[in-house]
Amino acid sequence: MALLLGKKLKRTYQVGTQLVTALATVSLEVNSGQFLVITGPSGAGKSTLLNLLSGLEQPSEGEVLFNGACLSTMNETKLANIRNAAFGFIFQIPHVLPHKTVLENVALPFQYGGLSNASQYMDQCLEHLEYVGLKKLGDRSPNTLSGGELQRLVFARALVRDPQIIFADEPTGSLDAANSKLILELLKEQAYKGRAVVMVTHEKEAMAYGSDILKLDKV
Amino acid sequence: MIHIDDILKELNLDLKDAWAGLLRRKVRSLLGSLGITIGVVAMVAMLSIGEGAKQKALDRIASLGLHTVRVEDAREGVGITNLSYGLVLADTKKISAWLGDRGSVGFFSRAANIATYNNQQKGLSTVLGVNPEWLKAEKWSVANGRPLLPEDMVRQSRVCLMGVKIASDLQVSVGSSIRLQNVPCVVIGIMVAKGRLLTEGTGLSSLDFDNTVVMPWRGFPFAKVVANEPILDGLLVTLRKIPEKEIIPIAKQIEEIIQVSHRSVKDFSMVVPLKLLHKVRETQNLFAWVMVSIASLSLLVGGIGVMNVMLANISEQTREIGLRMAIGATKKRIVSLFLCHSLLLTLSGGIMGSLLGLLAALGIQWLAGWEVAFSGVSLILGPVSAGVTGLLFGIYPALRAASLTPARALRES
Repeated sequence: MALLLGKKLKRTYQVGTQLVTALATVSLEVNSGQFLVITGPSGAGKSTLLNLLSGLEQPSEGEVLFNGACLSTMNETKLANIRNAAFGFIFQIPHVLPHKTVLENVALPFQYGGLSNASQYMDQCLEHLEYVGLKKLGDRSPNTLSGGELQRLVFARALVRDPQIIFADEPTGSLDAANSKLILELLKEQAYKGRAVVMVTHEKEAMAYGSDILKLDKV
Repeated sequence: MIHIDDILKELNLDLKDAWAGLLRRKVRSLLGSLGITIGVVAMVAMLSIGEGAKQKALDRIASLGLHTVRVEDAREGVGITNLSYGLVLADTKKISAWLGDRGSVGFFSRAANIATYNNQQKGLSTVLGVNPEWLKAEKWSVANGRPLLPEDMVRQSRVCLMGVKIASDLQVSVGSSIRLQNVPCVVIGIMVAKGRLLTEGTGLSSLDFDNTVVMPWRGFPFAKVVANEPILDGLLVTLRKIPEKEIIPIAKQIEEIIQVSHRSVKDFSMVVPLKLLHKVRETQNLFAWVMVSIASLSLLVGGIGVMNVMLANISEQTREIGLRMAIGATKKRIVSLFLCHSLLLTLSGGIMGSLLGLLAALGIQWLAGWEVAFSGVSLILGPVSAGVTGLLFGIYPALRAASLTPARALRES
């Protein structure tokens, strides 16, 4: 059984009286250890496909199965639990909560699931901060970090619940070459360790890291 | 299965998170809660003033005695008539006979500003001629010496009891011989301090007990006499073993007895303290409704302000909401987070308002001289009503935040 299966996924939006197609019908399969790169021109529906696969939005047609369970028909709590425990997210813009410290931002997923004892999960968070080279910055405000450091913070947060799949939407889009390389290496390492990685990018250098490439054409 | 421990832990996390969120925008949060603060200040100050007025009225009624009926001479308003001479001893006898063991009738005659001498010491006092029942009814007891006895009435003894102030002013002790104008009198007792009879607003004559000299009514040298009949200045009927609901009908009966005896001449006035209590309660209820209406309006305006702040916060934090949802926050947790936001915003406003309300009430007391009283209820009611307002006006923004889809929220610029 595939870890993640997208069956005839299609996404349309109603804009005024017009029905706009954001993603034409796509089917795909993602397995553990696979580093799938989704690429294509702007407007091809890359990010939309990533959102559908990760349960951030629902398809207009088709279905997404995670470990055989359909995300579209799942109740909201179950879907939130899967996003919390089984999926890790890295976005092009490193979204953080500015009023929390770096360490608290990494611990954020535990606020919505997992271990309830802070002393237990804080150790885990520190380990992940160390993994991305930010251990010394744990007490700092995210506002004081550079773009590369922020993306590494987000990376640590994505890993902290030991997810089965990491979804990365243009993770290097706002980074310089050195930081881009670091993030891509880290993603590749995660795939090597057995996690599935689904990454959207349009950068050729980034595509080279993928084990499989799905190219979408403009709708 | 829902575990209460988990719910409390989640709530604790959301409260901490919401508080940190409020501190991010201190000025906006302060301004947002200002409306609530002002509403609660108004509520606490008004409740304290109302409570003070109520306490004052209740003290006055307690001073008059709830189970009493007070009748006073009011011939001045009637003019001269030979149908009735005013309150006389026969009235007290008729009322006593009608009451039986349900009560007793005290009575007094009064002479004001009587020059009172102890050797060379001189003072002015009010002198009352009373029967022993009057002293019992006023619950005024002797501190030193002995009380008036029925024998003193019979013997028409020239003895007196002195209020503590006049006794002190004239340096009188038990056994001293004093003069009331030219009337000699032996002091048989010094009364306990009692202050004033609180008659303000009742139509009754005031009385400063501590500056009063009390003598047996029989042989009272200052009694007004009309057609050889000594006139009484007041009656004090004490009712015993009477349920509260029967006091007013009994007072009505007493009024009728006097009315018949006085051949329908309305030369007396009657005060029933229980009626005053009912009036105070009615006024208090009316005041409470006015206060609730004003406070509700203030809280409504404050609530709208809070809703505004919440909507602005949510609009600015859309991507943060998207992030929280992406990493596992359910709609329920988003609602909880923003309800905690509005609850803390209004609760802090409410607590601040309660404290400022106390200061405002004290300021009013100091400036206007109104009596204020603080009740625990008013201090708790402020923050509680502010919190409830926060929850009510936070529901719409919280639901709006939770209605976002994570992908759309993350896309917001």
